Amino acid sequence: MSLSLRPSAGAPADPALMTLAEAAMAIRAGVLSSREATEACLARIARLQPALNAFIAIEPEAALAAADAADAALAQGEVKGLLHGLPLAHKDMFYEQGRVSTCGSKILRDTVATTNSTALARIKAAGTVRLGALHMVEFAYGPTGHNAHFGAARNPWNTAHVTGGSSSGSGAAVAARLTYGALGSDTGGSIRMPAHFCGVTGLKTTVGLVSRYGAMPLSFSLDTIGPLARTVEDCAILLGLMAGADPLDPTTATAPVPDYLAAAEGRLKGLTIGIPDAFYVDDLDPEVARVLDETIATLKRGGARIVSVSLPDQMKLSGASQVVLNCEASASHKPWLLERPQDYGPQIRSRLENGFAIPAVTYLEALRWRGPALAAHLAAVAEVDAVLAPTAPMPAPTIAETDTDGGPGAEAMIQRITRFTRPVNYLGLPTVSLPCGFTRTGLPVGLQVIGRPFAEATLIRIGAAFQRETDFHEQMPEEP
Amino acid sequence: MSQHLSSEDAAAIIRAAGLDLPASDAARIASGISPGLAAFSAVAGTLPFDLEPATFLAVQRPCAEPKEGGQ
Repeated sequence: MSLSLRPSAGAPADPALMTLAEAAMAIRAGVLSSREATEACLARIARLQPALNAFIAIEPEAALAAADAADAALAQGEVKGLLHGLPLAHKDMFYEQGRVSTCGSKILRDTVATTNSTALARIKAAGTVRLGALHMVEFAYGPTGHNAHFGAARNPWNTAHVTGGSSSGSGAAVAARLTYGALGSDTGGSIRMPAHFCGVTGLKTTVGLVSRYGAMPLSFSLDTIGPLARTVEDCAILLGLMAGADPLDPTTATAPVPDYLAAAEGRLKGLTIGIPDAFYVDDLDPEVARVLDETIATLKRGGARIVSVSLPDQMKLSGASQVVLNCEASASHKPWLLERPQDYGPQIRSRLENGFAIPAVTYLEALRWRGPALAAHLAAVAEVDAVLAPTAPMPAPTIAETDTDGGPGAEAMIQRITRFTRPVNYLGLPTVSLPCGFTRTGLPVGLQVIGRPFAEATLIRIGAAFQRETDFHEQMPEEP
Repeated sequence: MSQHLSSEDAAAIIRAAGLDLPASDAARIASGISPGLAAFSAVAGTLPFDLEPATFLAVQRPCAEPKEGGQ
C-alpha cells in the first residue's frame, strides 16, 4: 500500500488537528517532525485528559524519545513504514510483550503481557510512536464507557454524556484530537457505538479479516478488531496495515487483502444501498430519524441508488448474538469469577453471571444457526451493495442515566443501546459507522453502512464518497 | 425451550455450571437473559440434524475470494 493523497487545503496550525493521513504524509515529507506531532498530541492530552478520562496510561517521556528516534532515522533516510513517526494510542487490550495491558480491569492491572498482538504489531511495524493506553470498559463488556476501576470516560461533545463503549477511550481520544487514530474491538457494537456517540469514523471488520491473536478475548466467535479515526481514508490506511492471514490466528482468512486506500477514491455512482423496511427504522429517536433521512438524500445526490430491503427477522439474530456472547464471555471468565468475584465491577460481574444460566444446548443451537442465518441474509441483500441503518436508536445518553451498576435494569439498558449492532456481530459482517449529523443539542449522530463478508472495500468506497459530500467528520468539539 | 426462564430454572442451571449465587441474583439473571432467549426460541429446536457450526465458514469464506472487477 502506498500513501499518495490529495494535497491538503491548508495545514492546520496545530499539528494534532491534521488527519492521520495528512500527518503521516507531512512527517515522511519532512514538513512536520515526529517530535512536533507527538508534542502536539501530548499537549492536548495534558489539557483534556482531566475532563475526558480518555487514557488509562500516558507515557510522554517514552513517546518523545521514540519520536526523536524516528526523526533521527528519517534524517538518515531510514523510513520504517507508512506511518513513520506518527503518534498513536490504542484501546488497552492489545498485548505488547513486557508491558501491562489492563483490559480496563483490576484483575489484569499489573499483569505484564508475554505475547504481542498481531494487529498492533503490524501497526507498530509501520513506524508508529506509542502515546499511552486508552480507556476501555472493563474486559470490553459494556456499551456505555462506564468503568468501576478507572472511572467513566466522558464524551468530548458534552462531558455529562457517555462516550459509548467498550472502545470508550478510542472514541473520545479521536474525537478530541488526542490521537490520529486508534484500534478498538467490536463484539456487540464496541467500535460503532463510540464512533456514533463521539462523532468519529469506526470500522468493524468481518470476522476473520484481522487477526485476534494477542488481543484480549471476549467472545471467540464474535470478536473483531478494527480502527477508529477521523475519516474513512484514515481507517482504510490502518485496516490495510492490519488485515490478512496470520498463522497465529487460524481463524483468519487467507484471501489477498484488497487495496483499501484505492477503494476510498471510488464514487457512489453505480452503487445500490438498501434501507431496511423494518427493525432499524422502528422506534427511532426523532433526531436519529431526521439524520437518516438527510443521509439518504445525500447518498442519492451523490449518485447512489437507494432501494428498500427486507431483511430476515433481526430479533432472532439479536437473541442468538446475546446467547453466544454471554456464554463465551462467562466461560472465559469462570476461573476469576469463582476465585475473585469481588475484583470485578458490579455491572461486568452481573453480565458475566448471566451467561451461567444459559443451557449448553441453547448455546450450541445459536452457533449452529449462524451459517443458515448468514445465507438468509446474503439472499436478502443480493440486489444491494450495502445496507444503511442507524448505529443506535438514540444519541449518547448521559452518564448518570446509564449508571445502572449491575442492578435489575442494567441488562435492559444494554440491550436497548446495542439493539442495532448485535445482529451484525452474529452474522460477522463488516460495518462502518460514519458521522452523519448532529442533534439540536450538539451531540453527534452516526449511521452504520453494513456490507457483505469481506466487502470492507465497498464500505470504504461508500464512506469516503459520503465524506467528500459532507463535513460532519471535520467537526470538532469545543474544549470542555 | 420455553420463552420464559424462571428464577428457579436459572438458579438450578447456574448451580450446575458451578457458580454459587444467592437466590435474589437468580431472579435478576433470569429477567436479564429471558428477552434474548425468547427472541431465539423461534429458532431453537428447529435446526436440521446434520447442521454444524462450521457451516458459517462454509457460507462466509467464499465471499473473501476476489471477484472479477473488484468488490
